[in-house]
Amino acid sequence: MLLQVKNLRCGYGSLEVVRGISLHVCAGEIVGLLGANGAGKTTLLKALAGLLRPWRGEILVNGRHAQGLPAWRCVSNAMALVPEGRQIFADMTVRENLLIGGYHNPYRRMDIEVVLERFPRLAERIHQLGGTLSGGEQQMLALGRALMARPKMLLLDEPSMGLAPMAAKEVFAEIVKMKDLGVTVFLVEQNAAATLGIADRAYVMETGEIILEGESLELMRNSGVKRAYLGKGYKEVWE
Amino acid sequence: MKVFDRRYEMMARDELEQLQLERLQALLARLKRNVRRYRERIGNVSAESLEDVDRLPFTTPEDLAEGFPYGMFALPLREVVRLHPALGFRGKPLVMGHTRNDLALWGRLVARQLAASGVTPNDVIQVCLGSGVYRGASGYVMGAETIEASVIAEEPFHIDSQLAMLQSYRPTMLVTTPDNARELMEAMDRRRIDPPSFHLRTVLLSRPVTPEARQAFEAGLLVSVRCNFGIEEVLDPGFCIECDQGHFHVNEDQFLVETKDGELVVTTLGREAVPLLRYRTRLACTIRREKCPCGRTGAILEPGPRLDGRLRVREAPLYECQIAEVLAQTRAAGHRFHVEVAERHVVVAIEMSSQLFRDVIWMLTDLQNEIQDEFKTRLGLDADIRLITPRGNA
Repeated sequence: MLLQVKNLRCGYGSLEVVRGISLHVCAGEIVGLLGANGAGKTTLLKALAGLLRPWRGEILVNGRHAQGLPAWRCVSNAMALVPEGRQIFADMTVRENLLIGGYHNPYRRMDIEVVLERFPRLAERIHQLGGTLSGGEQQMLALGRALMARPKMLLLDEPSMGLAPMAAKEVFAEIVKMKDLGVTVFLVEQNAAATLGIADRAYVMETGEIILEGESLELMRNSGVKRAYLGKGYKEVWE
Repeated sequence: MKVFDRRYEMMARDELEQLQLERLQALLARLKRNVRRYRERIGNVSAESLEDVDRLPFTTPEDLAEGFPYGMFALPLREVVRLHPALGFRGKPLVMGHTRNDLALWGRLVARQLAASGVTPNDVIQVCLGSGVYRGASGYVMGAETIEASVIAEEPFHIDSQLAMLQSYRPTMLVTTPDNARELMEAMDRRRIDPPSFHLRTVLLSRPVTPEARQAFEAGLLVSVRCNFGIEEVLDPGFCIECDQGHFHVNEDQFLVETKDGELVVTTLGREAVPLLRYRTRLACTIRREKCPCGRTGAILEPGPRLDGRLRVREAPLYECQIAEVLAQTRAAGHRFHVEVAERHVVVAIEMSSQLFRDVIWMLTDLQNEIQDEFKTRLGLDADIRLITPRGNA
């Protein structure tokens, strides 16, 4: 198991958002985390990436405790986060953005070539400012920037958010390709259909708890997925 | 032998325990949301580790009987695609629902057992479990379909038609009850049919038998014999896999097993329609977690006797209270009785009293026949009624 989480609890102030979550990701897998708005997906991801201190619980990366480590240690633990809404540096060029992604990587100038080969569109715009790229290109840049850290595992936070359907499709195709690179992917998404289409397994989160876990095919048939996604539930069995 | 689901059957212990914990927590969240009975009982208790399962409430066979028909369902009926009646505590009816996912999972779990018994897509399987008595037939059919073996969907209606099917369809595997296998051996003996005239390689029995009985079947039918072990309320077949070593490996990715005072307690981790939390099976058993040469990591289960006095007559479960209920409908109501299970029927010895006794033989035979008929109509059971003198007040 590359990533193992046990009973993770965290939140903001006195508000507990993630309420005792356990999950695991094996090397080479694409694992999805689905849930409606406010289910706690991003908070969970922040805790995994070291941006938020967990209140309780364990995070193990490659069998070693990693809870409460600062974000820079998480990156050297080979976990790279692609944050929600891309968060690229708009005033920096594509090249500078990529170099920042590989800040602690001594081979970053070499790796940049590899990333550009992977995303030829970025190579064409290498000297353009990040802010001038289209949404899809910015997402590719965010992915490329994360790859610059030579991660074993990518944490993706809603990569399809705010993208045109075609661009979202391209992003998902890129995520599938990560598998060939040997990069494990933990994908947090609202787009249930697309995520289950590419993921090996997935978790469904509702109000801070995981209510379903299973292989993608199973979850696609599950009515609970639709309910969690829509945030609706039946009250009684005969309803 | 082939392993059907290598990932889960041979999962490393630490990964399996992580998976079980995740599924247990998700199950608790679902139960609290969807089943009122569980919501009230679980309250704020949570499971932070697998050991915490001790703090969770039990589900008893009585709870299932009380919840009949749909009280224990965690999903509305519109999600349920199949309903299986079952016999619960003291012969009370139960209903087990399955969603589409439950059925797919069931097929997959049975496929694991079939693959462990050597079934491949090239095999032909005959399922002969006696309709109405043993309800697992559809599980075997789905399992065979999952493996893509050919399964004969119709059950033979008579032993002769079964023999004919065995010769003409040339099945390589027979899934049957120990009773039927015995009958088959006797019928072959009478008709002087040699086992090699069949193409049978394996017989999968619906329940565990003694080593002696297993040897007798192996010698009589010239096959290798495998046994299934399941619990009707939990899952039967599909609960365990019997490996080459004769060990019953629990499908631990789907079932969390523990023992409480020697009784087997099961939690279903993946079932959608009727999930059970710490179900007390009323069955004695021991659980061993040790390495098995077959490579499967699931706990090894050794089933013991039943703890609720359940009898078995021709593969059908029977409780003494059911007998009392039948007798209550006859003139023998309120009389003491003794039950004994013979090979193919049940012997009920009723202690006579002065109001029941007649000194005319045909009146007594009449009484016997009346009670026998009552058993046949109410329980579908052949009963041998004996009228005996009272055995004192013990």
